[in-house]
Amino acid sequence: MNVMPMLIRRELWEHRALWVVPLVIAGLIVVAAMFPHASMQIDSADVATPQKYMALFALFHSAMTVPQLLLLSVLLPYYLLDCLFAERKDRSILFWKALPVSDAQTVLSKLLVALAIVPLGVFVLTLFTDVAASGILAVRFHGSPLVRAFLRWDTQAWLHTQGIILVALVVVLLWYAPIAAYLMLVSAWAKRSAFLWAAMPPLVGMLIEKIAFGTTYLARFLGYRLRIADILGFNHAAAGRAAAAGEHASGMLERMRPWEAFANIDLWLGLVMVAALVWLTIRIRRHQDDG
Amino acid sequence: MTQIIKARALGKSYRGVRALDAVSFDVEAGRIVGLIGPNGAGKTTALKAILGLTPFEGELVVMGKNPYTERDSLMREVCFIADVAVMPRWLRVHQALDFVAAVQPRFDRSRAEGFLRKTDIKSFSRVRELSKGMVTQLHLALILAIDARLLVLDEPTLGLDLLFRRQFYDTLVNDYFDKERTILVTTHQVEEIENLLTDVIFIQRGRIALSTSVEDLGTRYVQLTASAEQARLARQLQPFHEREVFGRVVQLFEGRAPQELQKFGDIRTPSIADLFVAKMQGEAA
Repeated sequence: MNVMPMLIRRELWEHRALWVVPLVIAGLIVVAAMFPHASMQIDSADVATPQKYMALFALFHSAMTVPQLLLLSVLLPYYLLDCLFAERKDRSILFWKALPVSDAQTVLSKLLVALAIVPLGVFVLTLFTDVAASGILAVRFHGSPLVRAFLRWDTQAWLHTQGIILVALVVVLLWYAPIAAYLMLVSAWAKRSAFLWAAMPPLVGMLIEKIAFGTTYLARFLGYRLRIADILGFNHAAAGRAAAAGEHASGMLERMRPWEAFANIDLWLGLVMVAALVWLTIRIRRHQDDG
Repeated sequence: MTQIIKARALGKSYRGVRALDAVSFDVEAGRIVGLIGPNGAGKTTALKAILGLTPFEGELVVMGKNPYTERDSLMREVCFIADVAVMPRWLRVHQALDFVAAVQPRFDRSRAEGFLRKTDIKSFSRVRELSKGMVTQLHLALILAIDARLLVLDEPTLGLDLLFRRQFYDTLVNDYFDKERTILVTTHQVEEIENLLTDVIFIQRGRIALSTSVEDLGTRYVQLTASAEQARLARQLQPFHEREVFGRVVQLFEGRAPQELQKFGDIRTPSIADLFVAKMQGEAA
């Protein structure tokens, strides 16, 4: 009996966009690598120092992978708002609930799909995309300065770059997990228009706070929760100094310290919030039929 | 006899309206029970409580379990078919088989595939590509392949044509039902399942109007068809329902011996449909 793997497969059957769209984008990136206009000019000064080389290397490889990960910020909220809403809309909840699967298993499988299976799956896909696309480019531009600069295979630098992206991805997922759990709760609860119901409480809350107290604490709190640059340890000051020193602004990835987020108590408080929201979602789903 | 369902003072309100009010009944193993009532009588509410889909007041035990708090383990031994709309439209036939096989330990996949081979349903079809009748066949194929002890059917043949309806109940009785299993069914088309039922529960405005076995029905109720004059005389024996058909009067009696009545005209055991109409009109009057 493999209930959880089957529940996850069921999600991927129903919400095909979760894997079809990333696959299409990956395909496009690989195809694009076959027909590039070789307009990228590499100045040998750009890769003169190991830092500059590393920055450019990381920039190139993250350009192959990060767009696919950014796509998740559209796919996953849409999925989360739909995942417990659709089954009530088409009444299929009666079919699913007539099978020996608990509400907790159902809810957790959906959260797992949104916060682990799909993002980590897409991350693995980006690794293949990157290897394929940069491999194609390396062959096509064999012998050019481009290849000498950073298209040659550098396992250590590659692992370093992808490692930072992976840690950043995990941090982003954990940081946004309360928002994911909130969207899922709305999906389980909203009678119609889950999108509207998801947006309403924060908007109304901010409006009431502004009118009643003239303050903007809620807005600032939400802004803090939504802004990811700080939590990834992206050092604005260092970036500013680098820019002032006339350095390339390309070392963004190099200036990220995503692992520092694990020392941030707010990340863990957010996960406590996730547990509470998930518990509530399970309660709501247990209560629900097609009515 | 093993008790499958025990309901005592079962109650449920929707926004102040009593959908179920102090309903008590028992269902024993090996019976086919018809839960019959007009629209909005509380049939579906009662089924949902039994299936653990809705919280309830009072006591309800289904195979020794509280359905609301133990739905997932209960569903290993209970199957449910609502009307045809509930199979997800995006699901493919082979995915449905894969899914049920993974989550339902009592599911016999080859049996389900055997049923499907007798139909025109293709393994790669999505539910939305199937006709209403085929969706019901698919659902039935899944359910009949589960070795469940209780099968709950809520208007299972709604919107199907006569051929599919007949086939549905034939399959149910021939391939599924045996002395170990119990079927609880609600339907508007009483005539269609009349011959299958071993027990009937009439429900009206959230209350039980009648709960009896079909065997007892014959000893409790008599239907008299007589001329107008004879009917006038028979009226002293207090029929609880009366109607006129082609100039003859049809009267229904409860607790009267056939011998008492046969001198007035033709007597027989009323059909469940006739009894249902009489009970509902009588209660409403």
